[in-house]
Amino acid sequence: MPYVANTAEDQRAMLDSIGVKNIEELFASIPAELRLKRPLDIPPALSEMELTAHMAALAKKDAPAGEKICFLGAGSYDHFIPAVVDYVASRGEFYTSYTPYQPEASQGNLQVFFEYQTLITQLTGMDVSNASLYDGGSAAAEAVLMAISATGRHSRVVTAASVHPEYRQILATYLANLGIELVTVETPDGVISPETLAKVVNDQTACVLIQQPNFFGCLEPVEAIGKIAHEAGALFAVSVDPISLGLLKRPGDYGADIVVAEGQSLGSPMSFGGPYLGILACREQFVRRMPGRIAGETVDRRGKRCFVLTLQTREQHIRREKATSNICTNQGLFALRAAVYLAALGPQGLRETAELCLRRSHYAAEKLATDNGFERVFAAPTFKEFVVRAKGGDVEDMLVRASEAGYLAGIPLCMWYEDLADCFLVTVTERRTPEEIDGLVGCLNQVAAIHA
Amino acid sequence: MKPQDLLYAKTHEWVHVDRSGGSPVATIGISHFAVEALTDLVYLELPEVGRQVKAGQSIGEIESVKAVSDIYSPVSGEIVEVNRALPDGLGKLNDDPYGDGWIAKIKLADEADLKNLLAHAAYEKQCAEEGH
Amino acid sequence: MRNTRATQLLFELSKSGRRGVRLPAADVPEVPLADLLPTDALASAPPPLPELTEPELVRHFTNLSTQNMSVDTHFYPLGSCTMKHNPKRNERLANLPGIIDLHPYQPADTLQGLLELLWNLQEMLAEIAGLPAVSLQPAAGAQGEMAALLCAAAHFRKLGQQRTKVLAPDSAHGTNPASAKMAGFDTVTVKSTPAGYVDMADLESKLDLQTAVFMITNPNTLGMFDRQIAEIAKKVHEVGGLIYLDGANMNAILGIARPGDFGADMMHFNPHKTFSGPHGGGGPGAGPISVSKVLEPYLPVPVVVRDENGFHLEYDRPESIGRVRSFFGNVGVLVRAYCYIRTHGPDGLKRVSENAVLNANYLLSKVKHIFPVPQGDRCMHEFVASGAKLKNDRGVSAMDVAKRLLDYGYHAPTVYFPPIVREAMMIEPTETESKETLDAFAQTLFRISEEPADLLQEAPHTTSISRPDEVQAARQPIVAWSPKV
Repeated sequence: MPYVANTAEDQRAMLDSIGVKNIEELFASIPAELRLKRPLDIPPALSEMELTAHMAALAKKDAPAGEKICFLGAGSYDHFIPAVVDYVASRGEFYTSYTPYQPEASQGNLQVFFEYQTLITQLTGMDVSNASLYDGGSAAAEAVLMAISATGRHSRVVTAASVHPEYRQILATYLANLGIELVTVETPDGVISPETLAKVVNDQTACVLIQQPNFFGCLEPVEAIGKIAHEAGALFAVSVDPISLGLLKRPGDYGADIVVAEGQSLGSPMSFGGPYLGILACREQFVRRMPGRIAGETVDRRGKRCFVLTLQTREQHIRREKATSNICTNQGLFALRAAVYLAALGPQGLRETAELCLRRSHYAAEKLATDNGFERVFAAPTFKEFVVRAKGGDVEDMLVRASEAGYLAGIPLCMWYEDLADCFLVTVTERRTPEEIDGLVGCLNQVAAIHA
Repeated sequence: MKPQDLLYAKTHEWVHVDRSGGSPVATIGISHFAVEALTDLVYLELPEVGRQVKAGQSIGEIESVKAVSDIYSPVSGEIVEVNRALPDGLGKLNDDPYGDGWIAKIKLADEADLKNLLAHAAYEKQCAEEGH
Repeated sequence: MRNTRATQLLFELSKSGRRGVRLPAADVPEVPLADLLPTDALASAPPPLPELTEPELVRHFTNLSTQNMSVDTHFYPLGSCTMKHNPKRNERLANLPGIIDLHPYQPADTLQGLLELLWNLQEMLAEIAGLPAVSLQPAAGAQGEMAALLCAAAHFRKLGQQRTKVLAPDSAHGTNPASAKMAGFDTVTVKSTPAGYVDMADLESKLDLQTAVFMITNPNTLGMFDRQIAEIAKKVHEVGGLIYLDGANMNAILGIARPGDFGADMMHFNPHKTFSGPHGGGGPGAGPISVSKVLEPYLPVPVVVRDENGFHLEYDRPESIGRVRSFFGNVGVLVRAYCYIRTHGPDGLKRVSENAVLNANYLLSKVKHIFPVPQGDRCMHEFVASGAKLKNDRGVSAMDVAKRLLDYGYHAPTVYFPPIVREAMMIEPTETESKETLDAFAQTLFRISEEPADLLQEAPHTTSISRPDEVQAARQPIVAWSPKV
């Protein structure tokens, strides 16, 4: 028991002080018939050395990015993480602390949250940000709930097939028992058609939720979409790729009311999908509708600037069933990572990262499309991801073969889109070198040749 | 207005009825006792003008740093005016809860609602009991 | 040593032209940007982020870190939060490339190690809960509550029953009613007795055919095991309802009693509490749920399954509630929980709970002479002391005591929760603290109780700031920095 300090002697002294004979007596309140009368049926204890060997053996059965070259994306990205991010996040004073309930003993975390919130407003062009939610998907669902409460419209929410399918599933789950209709417009051209959208957005619509760049990597006609939403009195909610904002217009500059994002790209590892970082920012007027923790600036008794958790009456511990959300924890450590990442990159670094993604991804797309086996599916402009059709069919088999050859070449779309069953999504981040891209194209060409 | 002349809901809202303009209009606010109990007020959400409300329905919220309370309409009717200056001057609730601290004016739908309200003495008694 | 000069914000330290990261050239044929993206989609300038070098960032954030109390540096008896030691080995193992550099959509054959770990974790949590089916997906306890309640709603829908109510005691965590609301239920509050147990008469009067679920935290938020639990479960089951067990306090009963054995139909774990995942300044946590066989078909997808070909993710569950978050779950937190459980084994987990309960009772035996503990002389893993007497006698509040503790180098207990105890101080020492620490803490509480009221009311005196003006913060919220005009 390397983590328990009590010796047999300590235990004896403590039991005497309490006034009981043995530890068993302390559990007297649990009736005997409710006890477990055998040891738990779980594997026996491992020493630190054994555990290390065991975990190394497990990890060896996995093929991490680095061992296989990763062209996978769809909301989880192999972006570069500067060492300073890991250094800061590994400080015990950060990662072994908790929610800043005592501001005087938590100014480190509180200032970080305040800086994080500011960085997110700078990144998105919105007025206010919370101190983070779980992940991009549940943040999108929370944005919709927020829009429902802000507009008082409890009947319809509109989204599009070009939004991450898993985000839409989360939204459907969150709305399942609330009596709200979720309308999903189809996107056969890879982007939303404003005409199609306009037909389903009505004066009962609480919000229009889209993704920019969308799940297929394509740029949506955001200004036209925002106009349709606003003309109907609905809120315009956008899920963005934060890295793309090094180049693209910020949602605050094209009329978004609520912005959400998956913050994993900002300095956090892929980690098989989590923990991640749910970003949520909005216009000032909705600040009291926001879910989750918010840090605010104030002064202490001596007039010194300091930070506290604020607007807490929105939250579950005070408002209970009337709270804006049931969320309790934020993702403090990952908000810290994002803050360090954004500050390390700065405006120029973010712009260059975005440009690298853009240029290298376009290089990959063009090279791949020159081969007879593949074609680009959508004509809309793309950022760092694009959809490819394998003319020879059987995408899954091709991707397995590519994986065997050392390339995680793409994500098959058959799982979510019947009409794209012969397609896959390729992602190129700034980490993928031209040599790796050439290698991928060569590999896919060979695999396609087998199918031809 | 003198607190002695007002009617009160058990949920700490006060009512003053003005019949001078023909159809009776109730001015409502929250009592000094409620303001004190809430301590440092930070936020007030007003109802919308034009809304039809029923007695007992929540028409707004008032918050301190670590507590939040609904404001319940003591009467049924249409909200005809709200004190727009109040959210930015919450001190008025402390300084003059029965005057400048008024919250809304409601055109009464049914004067019978007033029978369910407490007179000042009865309300004081209730507060004294709650205070313990 | 704390650097008292370091108080500026990133934005105030920024200077145009500085940078912390340099990136390589694209090394692909140069194409004008306008050929790649429509110009109306492009921003005229990158976002106005601050500009700093790496050394500036390191100093800034390192200095900020020293303004936090943490488990690594201080005794942190924050009740209900189980602030136990976070094993350093587990941090390193969770960062192995074969664990952390995995994409959620890589093919299963490239993930067999991690999937095996997650499958085994599902099995181990099912065994610890005494409930056979597990979803590792929820990102936090609150999300686990919502996911499980959605499963219950799906179950009743399948049975064709219209059940609209979720019951929870007045001592429940605020997440319980909030989660019930998000799952589409109305919440009904059940009274507690002064000792913090469920008021059976009140419960019975509120149980009916509209009752879907009774949510209970056991051990409860006063740190007491409610021995009526079997009877509560019987009564709830009799009207066709289900029992949800809020697993926040599992640290008291590992290997001693299992929720599934004492009547629960579903529960969540808080691996960041019970299984030592670090709290990260307020997350990430995780909220895996264990449910009964009846509720298994409704669990979120995917789940890890094992067959003759090894391990894979199963998505095809037609009755599933769907998803509550993207991808698999908070895997990094789950990996640490796995390491923790494997380090302890069956005997070790039981000893964790025994020592957690021993430490809490020992501290209770010391504290009760200073601050009365209304619940009595015994507790499970935590107890709630009351500062009501000090407040009445000298006007010193539980908050004043909490603040003064910071001066003595202790994090404060949870104060003013649960609301059923006046001037509540909820103290949870955890098993990883030594007798010496507990003795010193109790002595400090005694010393504080004798200190002059004004000293306490002005506390803390030694932290980087004194008490903040929370009223101003809430009246005119400033939630982002802006340049001074």
